[in-house]
Amino acid sequence: DSDEIVVGTHLGSPPKAVMPGIRIEIVSLRLHPAAEVLASEHVQQLYVEFHFPGVPLAETETPLSLRKPQSGEEIYFHFSKVILLDPEAVSTQRKRLFSMLQAEVAGQNWLQFVVGREPLPGTRGECEDVGFAYLDLREILLSGSDVLEQELEAVVSPQDHSAIGRLTVSVEAAAALRDIYWEGRRKAEE
Amino acid sequence: YILKESGAVFTFGKSKFAENIPTKFWFKNDKPLYISCGDEHTAIVTGNGKLYMFGSNNWGQLGLGTKNTINKPTCVKALKPEKVKLAACGRNHTLVYTEQGHVYAAGGNSEGQLGLGDTEERSTFRLISFFTNQYKIKQLAAGSYTSAALTEDGQLFVWGDNSEGQIGLAGEASVCVPCQVDVGKPVSWISCGYYHSALVTRDGELYTFGEPENGKLGLLPEQLKNNRVPQPVPGILERVNKVACGGGHTVALTETDVYTFGLGQYGQLGHGTFIFETSVPKAVEYLKKHKICNIACGENHTAVIADNGLMFTFGDGRHGKLGLGEENFTNQFIPTLCSNFLRFTVYLVACGGCHMLVFATPRP
Ligand SMILES: [Mg+2]
Ligand SMILES: [Mg+2]
Repeated sequence: DSDEIVVGTHLGSPPKAVMPGIRIEIVSLRLHPAAEVLASEHVQQLYVEFHFPGVPLAETETPLSLRKPQSGEEIYFHFSKVILLDPEAVSTQRKRLFSMLQAEVAGQNWLQFVVGREPLPGTRGECEDVGFAYLDLREILLSGSDVLEQELEAVVSPQDHSAIGRLTVSVEAAAALRDIYWEGRRKAEE
Repeated sequence: YILKESGAVFTFGKSKFAENIPTKFWFKNDKPLYISCGDEHTAIVTGNGKLYMFGSNNWGQLGLGTKNTINKPTCVKALKPEKVKLAACGRNHTLVYTEQGHVYAAGGNSEGQLGLGDTEERSTFRLISFFTNQYKIKQLAAGSYTSAALTEDGQLFVWGDNSEGQIGLAGEASVCVPCQVDVGKPVSWISCGYYHSALVTRDGELYTFGEPENGKLGLLPEQLKNNRVPQPVPGILERVNKVACGGGHTVALTETDVYTFGLGQYGQLGHGTFIFETSVPKAVEYLKKHKICNIACGENHTAVIADNGLMFTFGDGRHGKLGLGEENFTNQFIPTLCSNFLRFTVYLVACGGCHMLVFATPRP
């Protein structure tokens, strides 16, 4: 039977580099019943972005803003982004990731997610950061496990840690971070 | 890449084919006539009357005599003596209709969805003896644990799980042989979703039945207590031609519009980023300027084909099942043109739990 079917060659890019990539997914968001943004008339639509060394912000924000969740409601972005790391061992991206993984100071090895307010179409006003959430990359390195659909506490600001809600994310990075870490160590010892 | 004029079948999402990477394949001396997707399996009926199956097979739903996952379209040899005309994949079972007038079933049977008079699963296609060749079958449909067959003359037969009233037999908990559902006029279209179903009558009226939550029946609050029998959906004034039911949503096609209702938390309703649920059928604004001729629902996603052969998808974008990208995905809350197919004419689309299959030919 197998000769009755012809399988086409892959239509996309050439085969992936051997270097493992990182996949980050902004899954969903809910707000706490007591969160100020929930009641605020001023906030109608929300988007989420994350900050990743060497990747422009335009590529790491959800392409859509969704209606602000009501109390108890969860809104779903399912925004999944694959980051192919710079293969150049001496690249700024790798250096920055390595220093994040090495940092002993709390906060410096965090991947930052930001919940943003999108102004309503036709109204004036700027985008505004209304929530922050953090994921410890060093913990992924040390545990060797990817993070799948983990709920992160979102807080008002890096200074004000009052909770506003929960952001669910996935970060598949264990293999890539291990590569970067050991390569960085090797370089440091040279 | 140059594709033969005869076109190809394109796979997206967790199809179980080619390690779930978007891929295409074609038949050497044959072409697909009909495609159906179950939760994790797929059936393709070809012009030569052959049935090809692949995907998950835990309940024997591929009808190949084993329970191994099959990751390449495989011809069901046992049916070769007959010409297969129709196939329908449910969540974990498959129905087949042949030119000889036979209806066969394989796979999970916990609720009698195989229509064989018992609840034993089968890994090979078995004849449903109820259907003699006096019934000319026009359409087969299958849901989570439900099955339906619609005859050319508009009679509807259903079997399987009725715990939510999803086969419309009021008092029955489940039935393991085909039973007729009568709405007093001939039926012209049937769709079985995960826990709800919908039919269209020949005069263009839409009826829904089954699990009442989240507005997926499109009924008035006072109608919901009778959710175990088919009831007419108010609010669509034009004639309905086709209907498709997903996991929590329903899509109805009229002459001019696509109406959606039910759950839309992933965008599967196509009503934008402000409506995540509605029990009132609402025409999809973005599709008004297109003439849509075909609709398909997966569990949480929707695909439509326009008469000019373009395809639009919306809903849950996970695993690339919307056919909109190779590795970066996102939910789509309005119908989004599948630019992969701009230079193709799309003829067939089928959506499953987490995958989508498309048959398209290159434009001349
Ligand atoms: Mg923006
Ligand atoms: Mg910003």
